[in-house]
Amino acid sequence: MLKDITLGQYFPGNSFIHKLDAMMKLIFSILFLAVVFMVNNFLGYGVIAVFTALVIYISKVPFRFVLKGIKPLWIFILFTAALNLFMKDGQVLWQWGALRLTREGIIFSVFMIFRIVFLIMGTSMLTYTTSPIELTDGIERLLTPFGKMGMPTHELAMMMSIALRFVPTLLEETDKIMKAQAARGADFTSGSLIKRAKALLPLLVPLFISAFRRADELAIAMESRCYRGGEGRTKLNPSKIGANDFIGLFIVMVFAALVVSTNFVGWQGI
Amino acid sequence: MKNTRVRKLTLTAIMSAMAGILMFIEFPLPFFPPFLKFDISDIPGVVMSFALGPIWGAVVVLVKNLIHMTSTRTAFVGELANFLVGAAFVIPAGIVYKKNRTKKGAILGLFVSTLSMTVIGYIVNLYITIPFYSRFMPMEEIINISSAANKFIKDLPTLVLFGITPFNLLKGAIISLITAVIYKPISPMLHRLVESKSHDLP
Repeated sequence: MLKDITLGQYFPGNSFIHKLDAMMKLIFSILFLAVVFMVNNFLGYGVIAVFTALVIYISKVPFRFVLKGIKPLWIFILFTAALNLFMKDGQVLWQWGALRLTREGIIFSVFMIFRIVFLIMGTSMLTYTTSPIELTDGIERLLTPFGKMGMPTHELAMMMSIALRFVPTLLEETDKIMKAQAARGADFTSGSLIKRAKALLPLLVPLFISAFRRADELAIAMESRCYRGGEGRTKLNPSKIGANDFIGLFIVMVFAALVVSTNFVGWQGI
Repeated sequence: MKNTRVRKLTLTAIMSAMAGILMFIEFPLPFFPPFLKFDISDIPGVVMSFALGPIWGAVVVLVKNLIHMTSTRTAFVGELANFLVGAAFVIPAGIVYKKNRTKKGAILGLFVSTLSMTVIGYIVNLYITIPFYSRFMPMEEIINISSAANKFIKDLPTLVLFGITPFNLLKGAIISLITAVIYKPISPMLHRLVESKSHDLP
């Protein structure tokens, strides 16, 4: 059960989208999210759908892989859609007891489904096409303005990379400790809440101790390689913003302007 | 001095990784709606806040959410809300404990933390999470259903107050309880790790 947990969902590739600079991609996704939130008509959603489809096509990430990202949420989507469908006040189309289907309800549910699906697809495309390491680098550079104000951005990015790297290691450790305690008769899965909270103690204490030991070993390893913070540190593969990134920026800007302008002309349904 | 800085850095990073894992081990509570999942991922943050100071606790919560961003399902809004609520829990405990490094101080700190998390949780839900969800859900209708079940619920603030605040209060209490029990056995090693110049761990 614990083995199934993965942080990050990178799909390796060599496409135009994969090669875009991580920081620029972060900015693009934030813009995309803002656009999805602002749009209020079907034409706008059409433009977003075409754009998303193009991004998926160009990135060569298989479509079923993208759908997999939505799968854990389909119950939530269905639940909210049903809630919207039958609860919204408005022009009644069909009624059976307390259940009533209204025109507004149908339109709102469709909007809602579009919104959730595109929000998730948009952010997933970022994490599918950018490895966690690149993403960390992108976040570090995005935070540079705060770094000038005294925020330790290098340390933050370093901690992020270490944390990402140690998630699988600690997971294995957790699994091992859980099995060891289960062999001694510990029970993590049943009983009342208090009982389960108590059962966590023999898991947490060894987990903390082993994490401390790992932190110590890592500190020694870093010190013996003369790590001394971000100042003057060089990179093996320094990232550069190139012509492609500006082309990307131009396309995203055009897309955003297009979608926002549909708010004035598109059919809103109500 | 440099020595300790690297140690604090690696320690914070690995505590964040641990918090990131604990975030996945979540269980629903009885009597509460199923979407309110309970997780204990703030424990490493509180431990660091006690041992190294409130700032380090907040950093653990921040890094935990940053690494969670790499597989976000809520368009970063969930991460932002979790960071604000987590920091509201972790920081007060560290501040109080710093002034009064006794068992009494620790318990008082956890008590203040639980209250602070409840208050900040109320504000965050009312102004960040609920407005976000109201882009997908008909909030007025949810309020109507809820008021049928609980006559105190009349509008959004009362919905949060009676629907989510008790949950945060309970969550704070449980995290406090677990931290109070585990901090004593693990703290000697933690202090030795931060203060030691050389490799002298057992």
